[in-house]
Amino acid sequence: MSTNGLIGRAIKRVEDKRFLTGHGNYTDDIVLPKQTYASFVRSQYAHARLLNVDTSAAKEMPGVVAIYTGTDLVDVNGVPCGWQVNFKNGDTMKEPKHPLLVADKVRHVGDAIAIVIAETIEQATDAAEAVMVEYEELPCVVDAAKAVQSGAPLVHDDVPNNKSFDWVLGNPIEEVNEAMRKAAHVSTLEFVNQRLVPNAIEPRSYNSSYDPATEKYTLYTSSQNPHLIRLLMCAFVLGIPEHKVRVVSPDVGGGFGSKIFHYTEEALLTWCSKKIGRPVKWTSERSESFLLDAHGRDHITKADMGFDANGKIVALRVKTYANLGAYLSTFSSCVPTYLHGTLMQGLYTTPKINVDVTGVFTNTTPVDAYRGAGRPEATYLLERLIDLAALEMNIDPADLRFRNFIPPFDGVNQPGYQTQVALQYDSGNYEGVLKKGLEMVNYAEVRREQQEAAHNGKLVGIGFSTYIEACGIAPSAIVGSLGCRAGLFESAHVRVQPTGKVSVYTGSHSHGQGHETTFAQVVADKLGINLNDVEIIHGDSEAVAFGMGTYGSRSLSVGGSAIIKSIEKIIEKGKKIAAHKLEASADDIEFSSGKFTVKGTDKSIGFGEVALTAYVPHVYPKDLEPGLDFSSFYDPANFTYPFGCHIAVVEVDKETGKVSLKRFIAVDDVGNVINPMIVEGQIHGGLVQGIGQALFEGAEYDENGQLTNASYMDYCMPRADDFPMFEMGSQVTPCPHNPLGVKGAGEAGTIGAAPAIVNAVIDALWSGGHKVKDIRMPLTSERVWHAMVDA
Amino acid sequence: MQLAGKYLLHAAPPKVWATLMNMDTLAKVVPGISRLEKTGDHTFKSILDIKLGPVSGSFTGNLQLDDLQEPSAFTLKAQQNSRIGNANAAIKINLSPVGTDDTEIVFDGDVKLSGMLASLGQRVMGGVSNTLTKQFFSNLEKELEKTPAS
Repeated sequence: MSTNGLIGRAIKRVEDKRFLTGHGNYTDDIVLPKQTYASFVRSQYAHARLLNVDTSAAKEMPGVVAIYTGTDLVDVNGVPCGWQVNFKNGDTMKEPKHPLLVADKVRHVGDAIAIVIAETIEQATDAAEAVMVEYEELPCVVDAAKAVQSGAPLVHDDVPNNKSFDWVLGNPIEEVNEAMRKAAHVSTLEFVNQRLVPNAIEPRSYNSSYDPATEKYTLYTSSQNPHLIRLLMCAFVLGIPEHKVRVVSPDVGGGFGSKIFHYTEEALLTWCSKKIGRPVKWTSERSESFLLDAHGRDHITKADMGFDANGKIVALRVKTYANLGAYLSTFSSCVPTYLHGTLMQGLYTTPKINVDVTGVFTNTTPVDAYRGAGRPEATYLLERLIDLAALEMNIDPADLRFRNFIPPFDGVNQPGYQTQVALQYDSGNYEGVLKKGLEMVNYAEVRREQQEAAHNGKLVGIGFSTYIEACGIAPSAIVGSLGCRAGLFESAHVRVQPTGKVSVYTGSHSHGQGHETTFAQVVADKLGINLNDVEIIHGDSEAVAFGMGTYGSRSLSVGGSAIIKSIEKIIEKGKKIAAHKLEASADDIEFSSGKFTVKGTDKSIGFGEVALTAYVPHVYPKDLEPGLDFSSFYDPANFTYPFGCHIAVVEVDKETGKVSLKRFIAVDDVGNVINPMIVEGQIHGGLVQGIGQALFEGAEYDENGQLTNASYMDYCMPRADDFPMFEMGSQVTPCPHNPLGVKGAGEAGTIGAAPAIVNAVIDALWSGGHKVKDIRMPLTSERVWHAMVDA
Repeated sequence: MQLAGKYLLHAAPPKVWATLMNMDTLAKVVPGISRLEKTGDHTFKSILDIKLGPVSGSFTGNLQLDDLQEPSAFTLKAQQNSRIGNANAAIKINLSPVGTDDTEIVFDGDVKLSGMLASLGQRVMGGVSNTLTKQFFSNLEKELEKTPAS
């Protein structure tokens, strides 16, 4: 295929003009004729039986159109979970109903009790406050490890010990135990990977309407995957025929995973819109976002890593309690299992691995995928353990990694690497990124500075994280065999207009990733046309044939590959049209830089003229259909496996425990790069969220199941002035199994960053003689100070 | 949330007791009270308007004086509901004589918060409850000064 050099260039994002000038069009901007507004009555308690919900006073309030409670919806299904995980004994996971409105008992603070619909949002809110709820408070449980103990309160009366599933992956535990017994050294960590609130800048918003004339619904939703929402809502919740529902996700202000899932409000508003015959809109308040947008992480883990006398890892054993919250959110079951357990090989040749995960219901907000989703938890575990082992065995942490890395393989001349935990890595050069990281940080020099600092009574630490992630989600057959209830391919429809302009309809929604630029670069490059002759259309189920959406760093590797397939079909047909016009054989036509040329001659015809001929087929091959318009589906052959090396240099204040991040080096190998500026931006954002977890963020529940920091006054978000300039490096190991050779960059920063920071702080404390094994994230001054004083 | 402290009042326990058991004075000394209605011997219906840092609300609910051991101890129980959340408290109050003319009040109890009160108000609750307690006792002191020694 031809190229005009657009691939690989740092082109400024074309979508930013509308965002920066206030012309973005978000769900909350959409006001429909006869619009009504919804407000919710939500549980104040983490666990309580509903004795009475009295809506009589609220119904008399001005502007109220309708009020529905759980008893109005007992016959309506709940929202489903999209991934089936089985118990070790083969039993299917427990997936109790997640109702649109609760009728019997509330299971977390914020659980929806009633919806109030009124003429204005203020009237709806006022009336919701007038709904009287009588509760019988029940004992609650918020901690996953406590929830599985006998006698713990039951979140769902029919789920014993609050276990949704217990699950195991890897080598038989006996083999792992045996290898661990023989190990010369075992490093052990017991730690919490704390719960995070996703905090997309745009709160969730839905606007649903029903047209009695056509019997069609339209749902505007701030979703990362409108087609998936349509499928789940139609087929599993409301039982509406899919062709009678249009789902549109217009501009969406960030998701980070939290807008993948099918939320109860989407289906409920759709149900209400038909009941009242008017459109219903709801936009989450920020305090509702804190309480209701699916949270991330929340693992309690004990892990052992065994080494032989030469520092080679011989075994890894992991036991994790994953807090799922009160209900199973759409992908909640696969995050701590197939997106977490499958990453336990890391970059190392560990021969024996056993990972055991118990998924637990608690009286908290549901937990699901949040940027990285399972992979940051896996990376945190591995990278903390290996740095700790280095300290304990007195081996340099970089050296310990070099001793254990899987040797380089490109996936073409050398086969992929088969892990002990199901996955087969596509290609990798792990020592390459660490070597580059060591050069960039000037390793010998920073170690010397650390010693000098220690001599002067200062605590300086250097922390590493060499991570891998499974992205490009996902090969349908593989995920199907692992319990996924959907295929994870992507679709792309490329329509060449008669004038040679190109409209691309992609199932990959863009909500901050810059697809409208990156995808256009790919198309314009491959067709040899101008960037502004390409339009990327996404987010509308009536415009785009199908789509599985945007998550798991999949858009370019899966969605982009589908686009390439359609472009190949266009060029192939274009060659036939050109051959006819140029009176040559199609086999003799080559396409380059926007021109179809007869090989070895100067006879050529431009892409625009071929397009026009396709739509004005006066002189045209007899056996060819008019038009230049192709649709494709791409199902990846494997996951993609980006990897990298993050190095943090910190200074810890001896008196106060305050951590200052001095330097952060990130060398990421995300395969081929289409737009380096966008990749760098994605990694920056990811790093900030990863470092945010290490130093600032964390959802805090009290023992009554109340989220005590559900506002920006209480939940510490990272800010620009918390960070030094990131020092970015890159390496390119192309993905061998997709046409662009790309791997994915959306989650890399978040997956790698947190352990590098914590390792650096631990290293700093050891340099001062405080042999601390773990400090619970976020590493506030108080926690670090206590760790120093108590050690 | 734990609510505990002590306060020295310049009146003997019997007088303090009598003042606290009098609904009219109670209505004057409890901060933010806008309505107090007797519903039983030692139970009241109340409306309180209170500002807690970023959130403010009108609380309606019950107040109850329980475990009465005149003049040395009782428990104040409160169940208060509002649109910003509910509060449930049980506070043990001890009155002990200091010398002949003074009383030391020691209080200790637990306040359970829910809803927005818990998620937004918790951070400032310590400070707010200190202020409210101080207000309560200084109001009580004024009331005690008004009434002649018994």
